[in-house]
Amino acid sequence: MDCSLVRTLVHRYCAGEENWVDSRTIYVGHREPPPGAEAYIPQRYPDNRIVSSKYTFWNFIPKNLFEQFRRVANFYFLIIFLVQLIIDTPTSPVTSGLPLFFVITVTAIKQGYEDWLRHKADNAMNQCPVHFIQHGKLVRKQSRKLRVGDIVMVKEDETFPCDLIFLSSNRGDGTCHVTTASLDGESSHKTHYAVQDTKGFHTEEDIGRLHATIECEQPQPDLYKFVGRINVYSDLNDPVVRPLGSENLLLRGATLKNTEKIFGVAIYTGMETKMALNYQSKSQKRSAVEKSMNAFLIVYLCILISKALINTVLKYVWQSEPFRDEPWYNQKTESERQRNLFLKAFTDFLAFMVLFNYIIPVSMYVTVEMQKFLGSYFITWDEDMFDEETGEGPLVNTSDLNEELGQVEYIFTDKTGTLTENNMEFKECCIEGHVYVPHVICNGQVLPESSGIDMIDSSPSVNGREREELFFRALCLCHTVQVKDDDSVDGPRKSPDGGKSCVYISSSPDEVALVEGVQRLGFTYLRLKDNYMEILNRENHIERFELLEILSFDSVRRRMSVIVKSATGEIYLFCKGADSSIFPRVIEGKVDQIRARVERNAVEGLRTLCVAYKRLIQEEYEGICKLLQAAKVALQDREKKLAEAYEQIEKDLTLLGATAVEDRLQEKAADTIEALQKAGIKVWVLTGDKMETAAATCYACKLFRRNTQLLELTTKRIEEQSLHDVLFELSKTVLRHSGTLTRDNLSGLSADMQDYGLIIDGAALSLIMKPREDGSSGNYRELFLEICRSCSAVLCCRMAPLQKAQIVKLIKFSKEHPITLAIGDGANDVSMILEAHVGIGVIGKEGRQAARNSDYAIPKFKHLKKMLLVHGHFYYIRISELVQYFFYKNVCFIFPQFLYQFFCGFSQQTLYDTAYLTLYNISFTSLPILLYSLMEQHVGIDVLKRDPTLYRDVAKNALLRWRVFIYWTLLGLFDALVFFFGAYFVFENTTVTSNGQIFGNWTFGTLVFTVMVFTVTLKLALDTHYWTWINHFVIWGSLLFYVVFSLLWGGVIWPFLNYQRMYYVFIQMLSSGPAWLAIVLLVTVSLLPDVLKKVLCRQLWPTATERVQSPGYQSTCPSAAWYSSHSQQVTLTAWKEKVSTEPPPTLGGSRHHCSSIPSHSCPRSRVGMLV
Amino acid sequence: MEERPQHCLSRLLDNSALKQQELPIHRLYFTARRVLFVFFATGIFCLCMGIILILSARSTQEIEINYTRICANCAKLQENASNFDKECTCSIPFYLSGKMMGNVYMYYKLYGFYQNLYLYIRSRSNRQLVGKDVKAVEDCAPFKMSDNKTPIVPCGAIANSMFNDTIILSHNINSSVQIKVPMLKSRLTWWTDKYVKFQNLSSKNLADEFRGKIHTVAQYTTTKPPNWPKPIYDLDKKDPRNNGFLNDDFIVWMRAAAFPTFKKLYGRLNRTHHFIEGLPAGNYSFNITYNFPVTRFHGEKSVVLSTLTWCGGNSLFLGLAYTVTGAMTWLASFAMMAIHIMLKNKKMSFFHQ
Repeated sequence: MDCSLVRTLVHRYCAGEENWVDSRTIYVGHREPPPGAEAYIPQRYPDNRIVSSKYTFWNFIPKNLFEQFRRVANFYFLIIFLVQLIIDTPTSPVTSGLPLFFVITVTAIKQGYEDWLRHKADNAMNQCPVHFIQHGKLVRKQSRKLRVGDIVMVKEDETFPCDLIFLSSNRGDGTCHVTTASLDGESSHKTHYAVQDTKGFHTEEDIGRLHATIECEQPQPDLYKFVGRINVYSDLNDPVVRPLGSENLLLRGATLKNTEKIFGVAIYTGMETKMALNYQSKSQKRSAVEKSMNAFLIVYLCILISKALINTVLKYVWQSEPFRDEPWYNQKTESERQRNLFLKAFTDFLAFMVLFNYIIPVSMYVTVEMQKFLGSYFITWDEDMFDEETGEGPLVNTSDLNEELGQVEYIFTDKTGTLTENNMEFKECCIEGHVYVPHVICNGQVLPESSGIDMIDSSPSVNGREREELFFRALCLCHTVQVKDDDSVDGPRKSPDGGKSCVYISSSPDEVALVEGVQRLGFTYLRLKDNYMEILNRENHIERFELLEILSFDSVRRRMSVIVKSATGEIYLFCKGADSSIFPRVIEGKVDQIRARVERNAVEGLRTLCVAYKRLIQEEYEGICKLLQAAKVALQDREKKLAEAYEQIEKDLTLLGATAVEDRLQEKAADTIEALQKAGIKVWVLTGDKMETAAATCYACKLFRRNTQLLELTTKRIEEQSLHDVLFELSKTVLRHSGTLTRDNLSGLSADMQDYGLIIDGAALSLIMKPREDGSSGNYRELFLEICRSCSAVLCCRMAPLQKAQIVKLIKFSKEHPITLAIGDGANDVSMILEAHVGIGVIGKEGRQAARNSDYAIPKFKHLKKMLLVHGHFYYIRISELVQYFFYKNVCFIFPQFLYQFFCGFSQQTLYDTAYLTLYNISFTSLPILLYSLMEQHVGIDVLKRDPTLYRDVAKNALLRWRVFIYWTLLGLFDALVFFFGAYFVFENTTVTSNGQIFGNWTFGTLVFTVMVFTVTLKLALDTHYWTWINHFVIWGSLLFYVVFSLLWGGVIWPFLNYQRMYYVFIQMLSSGPAWLAIVLLVTVSLLPDVLKKVLCRQLWPTATERVQSPGYQSTCPSAAWYSSHSQQVTLTAWKEKVSTEPPPTLGGSRHHCSSIPSHSCPRSRVGMLV
Repeated sequence: MEERPQHCLSRLLDNSALKQQELPIHRLYFTARRVLFVFFATGIFCLCMGIILILSARSTQEIEINYTRICANCAKLQENASNFDKECTCSIPFYLSGKMMGNVYMYYKLYGFYQNLYLYIRSRSNRQLVGKDVKAVEDCAPFKMSDNKTPIVPCGAIANSMFNDTIILSHNINSSVQIKVPMLKSRLTWWTDKYVKFQNLSSKNLADEFRGKIHTVAQYTTTKPPNWPKPIYDLDKKDPRNNGFLNDDFIVWMRAAAFPTFKKLYGRLNRTHHFIEGLPAGNYSFNITYNFPVTRFHGEKSVVLSTLTWCGGNSLFLGLAYTVTGAMTWLASFAMMAIHIMLKNKKMSFFHQ
């Protein structure tokens, strides 16, 4: 401790100039410490204002504009607009200014409104009254005036206004209950503890007299980590130093429950609270479609620049003859003649850029945004994904990734709570080889089950009985479960049978299951009162144990311990944890029998825990206390020191027994996985669970099938051989086969094909991931990836949360760059959810943390099927058509403009009128594609669900490959050539009217434009497979709108325009027969090749989707589908009946048998081979 | 728990086919049979249209005489700056082998004249042309004002470069008798141009109007464009409705052409007396007053006589395009049919096996 003091001192004085110090000292109630205490540099803390808003009233416009123009596309359009303003260009600045203004305004209004909402929320937060103590009096102030060091009083059901150190509560034991539902979504009550030395200060006056300083770390975002220490000064004694941990810290955003009031001192305020620090942490994910879109944009930018360059060069080549540069009829002004040639050339280049800039349309960005935003509602609205049980529907946290759902190649799924229900049920326990099943207990009498295992002796001896009770007591004591009791009833009210009325709450469902299971075996945990745990034993006596220490659970140790003192004064350490973490620490007990049972249970897919104990003598305990105290007080590396201390304490244990808890598979989990695999998606299970349990679950959910050959890459094997050999051997096995196999790996569900499943554990993985000293770091990884690629399913067990993310990252950055999806429900899945391309949270029982951090959240795993196979597929089809079509229609739009330059002496004369230039993308052709991209269903929803293989048709960004992109661009070029030269030959050299009158350049442009609008819209109509009334309305409506607009635009001399070039142009054009004929002909000619290509491709090389679309398929298949779904329904109802007719567990009857054996019978034989 | 039923109810109420993406629809798939039908139909339609168009285009007659070279001496004369205002005429005799029936239209045609240059096309003042404000010349650079700061009327590059050759068609019945073929200078323009977009200031006395005699102040006087031999109010002295801005030749010229090679309507045959059925066969000659310089921009000019049908002039393009499209469509549909039958047979044999 001295060391750390010195270090902090050194830190302080060395870092004197800097504002940042790695810890902060707080005077509780702003009372200076007594003169003897060390001085500190006062730091400036922010006030307690929460500012989640981005803008203020004054800086909104400049800041918002700045933010918006930081986007490349907006900036590009701004530049074009400015160029148009500055130089004399053929198109008016309105043509690009208006759309840009529209986009910017709409975005600004949207962001402004969102910010206004945030301001309102902030104000409501910042102005809500807070009670605090000033000179022993209770004062009400606004929350924002709170400062670090203030002592705050919080009443029941109020939320904490800032991060507080818990000083005292009105409860005698100095505890309070808190729910953190708004922080991490866990609605369970958590207990927090007041500082030991201040918990006696109950009244305002008392607390006002408190004289203490708190030293703690600077704020950091981890909600569950906090280190600090408090010095309490009193007049009589030396200052007392106490450690502070996260159990003393009350976080802003949490709500006080079951406690009348508490006092606390503010340590982190305003934007430094942990809640505020957790606000902004999500990184922006970008979809593959967006990446392709950007690539296409660059291509088009190059096309644009080269077009402008070509025209500029040609212009000067053409003008090199003087009679062309300045013919007598088009003389230059004096200033034009005197301009620098290079300046002129540059201006011309810019002018050409402006002329062709529509090839990259502003409206595409708007349309894509709108499509994504509106389209994501279809997910939230989907009733198939609504879970009636929980009343939860799917959530969409980001709409940027909709189409990525159609591109998934790898799914990484968590096991517990995702594949399984996370609805734990205590199945059995095994005490020294005796198996106890709660359901065979009548009135507290245990009937050891004899079928499961060979027993040492059928009736337990006295010694055995003692052990048995110790085991039950251990289960009753070694946990962090809370009892939620009704406030109305107080005291020891629970009769043994009425024990069921109390509700256990814990952050881990396993613990609840265990405590409930033990309750059925005769021992009931009543409550924790004044640091005494009360349990009701079989004889209805209340036993009280003093809770001395809790060595809390963490995922690295995978165990937890409690140290309790019994009424007789004996001190016990009970330890509970995963078998792998318990067995090495056991020196006594019937290890072999228990291990056999544990393995058997694991194979059946049960979750096992081992229980061990140690009796401590007083001296040992004191040693432990000291050890723990030292670790807890440490400011630096507290975690590490604690872990070391735990390691020292939890050893030399005596094994008591093991428990087994069943976690049922989620409904249709197997069905979903099968469908996903058929869709060509590789499913990996990443779990923290042990190998056997996880493997059993994998069999149960059909990830591994009967004919799957399992490859193991586990620590056990690596211990036998070197990693190198194992990897090479595995890869040989796999590759030998894949060598003989043909390429139909994709359709590899045929029975004769050998498929492989890989099992790897965390330790082996970390060996593979570890960079080698000799520099060949990539070697093992590549080999490992090679093996993984040829396996149809991979199971990774014993994974730490970070390792899950590592795996995802490994696959994500492997050389094919596949699209990954991670799905999980717990806080331990957050890292992989954030890492994967698409993160999906299951709105589960382990809190909402995963759902909050995910991109999409669904209530059940089974909803993933519809999410990917239907919604993902649709979104992908829709957006890829949207992107391609947008580029296509702008090639059609701009290429004639380019061609026209060759006929107008490269003088930048526009082909179309300004109104047409402006409105082409905004109104004539925008709505059909938007509606298409919202509504299109190239095949029906039920077909997609029925036939998962269709998903492969869009895999690997199939519709946005360069080939497809080039096809669309060429089609656009062809169409543009047809429009332009078609109209040219119609107009050239001849009269197109019957009265001899002649048309001018605007009529020519209008003819080209009319043909174009019709072609482009009809092309979309031909691509639309799904014609609702909305599509009809929008497609025919926008053609009609074009005609009506043109009639109006040309029919009136608009007073605000200083030109009348379009006056009657459209009407005159329509009065000419050849113009009509030309429109019909050119539209037909433009569309025919595309139709022809479609039909030929359909006939000669049909994709799976196209086969499904043919009418023959649809007439035969629905009945089959109906049958299959019907039969499924039948079995489902039959199964439900079985469950409901089953006798309730308490009445006896072996439920264990009827539920577990049918579901596990097939996997067991497989795993038998495996183990 | 109590809220749940309500929640469900609200979900049921606002549940619509739209939200579940289950709107009533019809599907559009390209099945071979449907497409074949459409292709054959399109083919027939295109072939028919093509034949009709070709036939009607062939029923028209057109004669074009390029007089750039024939009147080269005039051009040469003009190139000499000193002879700038010397009038030069040239006569081009030609023989019309067959008679031209119906309405005959006379066009002048320019080659290599870029009426669609960006600066050129902009250089006009609509406000001036509509008769609102003679001084509105802001858009007319570089022909806004004359040297003595009076506004040019009509201003701008388009007006300045107006085609000003005079072409008179004569019918030589025999070597001595020459009849001037009567040409109409009316309805050469769009109706809207003549009656809406172009207006004179007031119809009483054009010359006074433009000369600024009504206004006593000198600055209201106007100047003719530099290239014009005569001011705007002298374009057609005989017919006041064809004079000033309302002159048909002027209005026709002011509608800029789309391409560097273009023709513009110059006159319609007045079908009276001798020409009641059109132009009879025989010897004709064009008497051209050569004013418009084309050699300076390496251009050419010609005069065209043409008859028209319902589908315009004698261009075969549209007809040929329709025919070719029809033929291609049929070809494609035969190919598709072949493939379709082939695949069907394959499938059948597959089933039989």
